[in-house]
Amino acid sequence: MTEAALKEAKQPSEINLESGPDAGEHQTVGAPFHDNAKITVRNVDVFYADKQAVFDVSLDIGKNEVIAMIGPSGCGKSTFLRCLNRMNDTIDICRVTGSIKLEEKEILDTKIDVVPLRAEVGMVFQKPNPFPKSIYDNVAYGPRIHGLASRRSELDEIVETSLQKAGLWNEVKDRLHAPGTGLSGGQQQRLCIARTIAVSPEVILMDEPCSALDPIATAKIEELIAELSENFTIAIVTHSMQQAARVSNRTAYFHMGKLIEVNETEQVFTNPDHKLTEAYITGRFG
Amino acid sequence: MDTLHLDQHISAQFNEDLEHLRTKLLEMGGLVEDQLKDAVKAIETADGALAEKVIETEKEVDQREMALDQESITILARRQPAASDLRLVMMVTKATRDLERVGDEANKIAKMAIALNAEGSDGGRGYVELRHLAANVIRVLNTVLDAFARYDVESAMDVVREDKIIDTEYKSAVREMITYMMEDPRAISRVMNIMWALRALERIGDHARNIAEQVIYLVHGTDVRHISIGDIERALESKR
Amino acid sequence: MTNPDSQNQALTTAQKVELSLKKRYRAEARFKAFGLASICFGLLALVVLFSNIIGNGIGAFQQTDIQLEVTFDKDTLEIDDASDAQQLAIANFDGVIKNALKARFPDVKSRRDKRLLYGMISIGASFDLRDYLKAHPEKLGSTETLWLLADDDYDTYYKTLKAGEPFVGRMNEKQQAWVQSLLDNEQMKSSFNTRFFTSGDSAEPELAGILGALVGSLLTLLVTLLLSFPIGVAAAIYLEEYAKKTKLTDFIEVNINNLAAVPSVIFGLLGLAIFLNFFNMPRSIPLVGGLVLTLMTLPTIIISSRAAIKAVPPSIREAALGMGASKMQMILHHVLPLAMPGMLTGAIIGMAQALGETAPLLMIGMVAFIVDIPGGVTDPATVLPVQIFLWADSPERAFTERTSAAIMVLLAFLITMNALAIWLRKRLERRW
Repeated sequence: MTEAALKEAKQPSEINLESGPDAGEHQTVGAPFHDNAKITVRNVDVFYADKQAVFDVSLDIGKNEVIAMIGPSGCGKSTFLRCLNRMNDTIDICRVTGSIKLEEKEILDTKIDVVPLRAEVGMVFQKPNPFPKSIYDNVAYGPRIHGLASRRSELDEIVETSLQKAGLWNEVKDRLHAPGTGLSGGQQQRLCIARTIAVSPEVILMDEPCSALDPIATAKIEELIAELSENFTIAIVTHSMQQAARVSNRTAYFHMGKLIEVNETEQVFTNPDHKLTEAYITGRFG
Repeated sequence: MDTLHLDQHISAQFNEDLEHLRTKLLEMGGLVEDQLKDAVKAIETADGALAEKVIETEKEVDQREMALDQESITILARRQPAASDLRLVMMVTKATRDLERVGDEANKIAKMAIALNAEGSDGGRGYVELRHLAANVIRVLNTVLDAFARYDVESAMDVVREDKIIDTEYKSAVREMITYMMEDPRAISRVMNIMWALRALERIGDHARNIAEQVIYLVHGTDVRHISIGDIERALESKR
Repeated sequence: MTNPDSQNQALTTAQKVELSLKKRYRAEARFKAFGLASICFGLLALVVLFSNIIGNGIGAFQQTDIQLEVTFDKDTLEIDDASDAQQLAIANFDGVIKNALKARFPDVKSRRDKRLLYGMISIGASFDLRDYLKAHPEKLGSTETLWLLADDDYDTYYKTLKAGEPFVGRMNEKQQAWVQSLLDNEQMKSSFNTRFFTSGDSAEPELAGILGALVGSLLTLLVTLLLSFPIGVAAAIYLEEYAKKTKLTDFIEVNINNLAAVPSVIFGLLGLAIFLNFFNMPRSIPLVGGLVLTLMTLPTIIISSRAAIKAVPPSIREAALGMGASKMQMILHHVLPLAMPGMLTGAIIGMAQALGETAPLLMIGMVAFIVDIPGGVTDPATVLPVQIFLWADSPERAFTERTSAAIMVLLAFLITMNALAIWLRKRLERRW
């Protein structure tokens, strides 16, 4: 009996992966909105010159939640992330339309000063990029340029608490004036996180923060993310689906510049709503 | 009908692993199915040798259960499957246990057949009920394996519904048996054996239902255990 | 199964590799040998050049002195008070020297021979005697045994005599006999030529020094560095960090690259037209020289500074911007410190180029014969390469020697400058 059934079941029915979702008209499935939103994104399009990289993304990022953004390379997830603190401004040909609100403040407003914005929305990059200065100066850089500490002792305190929060204090407290670039990759990335949280941002963006790290260092960063989510809102772009599954509350799946699905992470990884999400996380295409 | 595209992974090895897992489960299902058929036939025809064979087969079923578990764990460890793949592996581990239990129950029936043989025939009181229930259970088991092979939620739903009927039939058959025992107290130990066989069949029906629920979970990702049939149907309706 | 190629096929991959291995090693050895030969050739050329220059120039660091009994005779000097500077200035020290020579060689009678005899002592010796008398006014009227600077012909003759080389100068037999007589009485000796390092140019080789040109070069380079480095770096920063990519910036970039390849004499003409003719600046001054060399080195500095800025990893910029630094903070705190070593390298190359440059300076008149040591950027001056050019052009044999010596000084200057720059770079780099 099973033979016939087997044969029939094996007939492949193609998923149309190439075309992606229908252009123009598409609806993000799942739950892109949040009751207690820190960042409210509505109808955001991003263009590089004439080429559109992100299509009509609407998404809420909740307070103190960790939202993971996954998707194949070139799907626009990093581009989208960089919109959230206007890092795309550094690219001349990049143009962003739509609305992104940090609580009540419109981020995309050209009148807004990006300097305080970036103090509120910090960013951790793919490659650990400590400044070629001492560990202390790395962490103290943000507070210094933003004038957060008026006295030396105050600055010392900020540096210490930031390093503690980043779980690096015990490893570096005896060599605060050694170069930051002399640390190991994982320590460097945690130093970058310490540097970011030293200006006490409200949101931390992480662009593939573990892609250059070994598994142990990755585990430490992931642990750190879990701890930080108590005080910060975190948006993380990652290539590692397992990482998204481990660290995030919600997961957003991007495909060819479109936000396909946003759902609770448990659901995305056990029973995603969209066929494309399913195909991506199960390794049907990459 | 929804399909799971198990053969569309980037990794061909992964495709093969999952396909192998699926085939092995179906093979084990086929083995258990035969075991059940043989056990029932052994009672009906008072065939002691056939009953012995059923008991022999049990060992192979146990081996297959262990092999499938090992394979599932290997896939979990090496591939970290997600979504439908994850559901398939989880479903297989659960279905394997259910099938093994079905094998155990078939074993019990075979033991009853040997016991009945030893006591000698008395014109086959209770055999009608047994045959009737057995036919239903065998059909249900076959349907559920088929449903798994085709990822057929409709068939799986049929099995869930059928299990209710089997339960009802079992209850009436038990009442029937009690009547027999009251009529003829000398036949109590004989009828008790048949009752054990009936109970085993009813349990097999439950296992078939469990597997059917797993098939639904596999295809739709909806957990339909411990809820009423009406709720299941509503849940599935919303999925469409 | 019988295959004609079976013999060939029987060879395993390892065996085939084995066969080709020797050939590969030979090729590699040839490759290495070629590189080594090139280095050896370069080194040999360097050694020949250096030994030639040093061999020629080493003599210039020695001067020849002649001992004479000098009588500070009031009548000959035509003065009566040695402490009076005005009297000293017009005093006839030449007569004193002539008397001393006549006293030493009483046999010389004929007019012609006397002229030759008087030529034995450099005309610079009278200045030395004046200085001596100025320092010791009480010696007026007394007779002293003094070492006086020999003329360049006698100097050359004495040096060739000491080195045992054949002499091909302007010396007749009588002169040679005088020298022999001096030598016999140990009245001729060599000493270190401090005058070469402490005086300016002169028409007399034995009096000619390098200091004027050295100071001129230093002042010119100072002007060049102070102007071209800040301007070049600022231009590079603007082009790299602020300027949008447009047709205009592309055009500017192409032109900067072209300027770097323009022959330096063109810059000289430009300087002549602009600074001298249009702004009416004086000729031959280090300020104008520096301005012209600035024009010449700017492209080099801009190009290398841009390369250094480009080499700063974008991750550092992103980090700074991501922290909320403004663009200027990003540049000043992160980009410049990291690019500084590279920029300095560019500046060193530019400066070294400027140090060795002759052609544009000829155009703005820095080729003039200047005896005085410049005291500032607006004093007339010459520079080392121009000095070398001038001396190399002079007929006196002693100038050949001085040309080589000047080249050695130029090289030493260059090495010092580079060493300083490398040290600076290392220091900046150590700030991570």
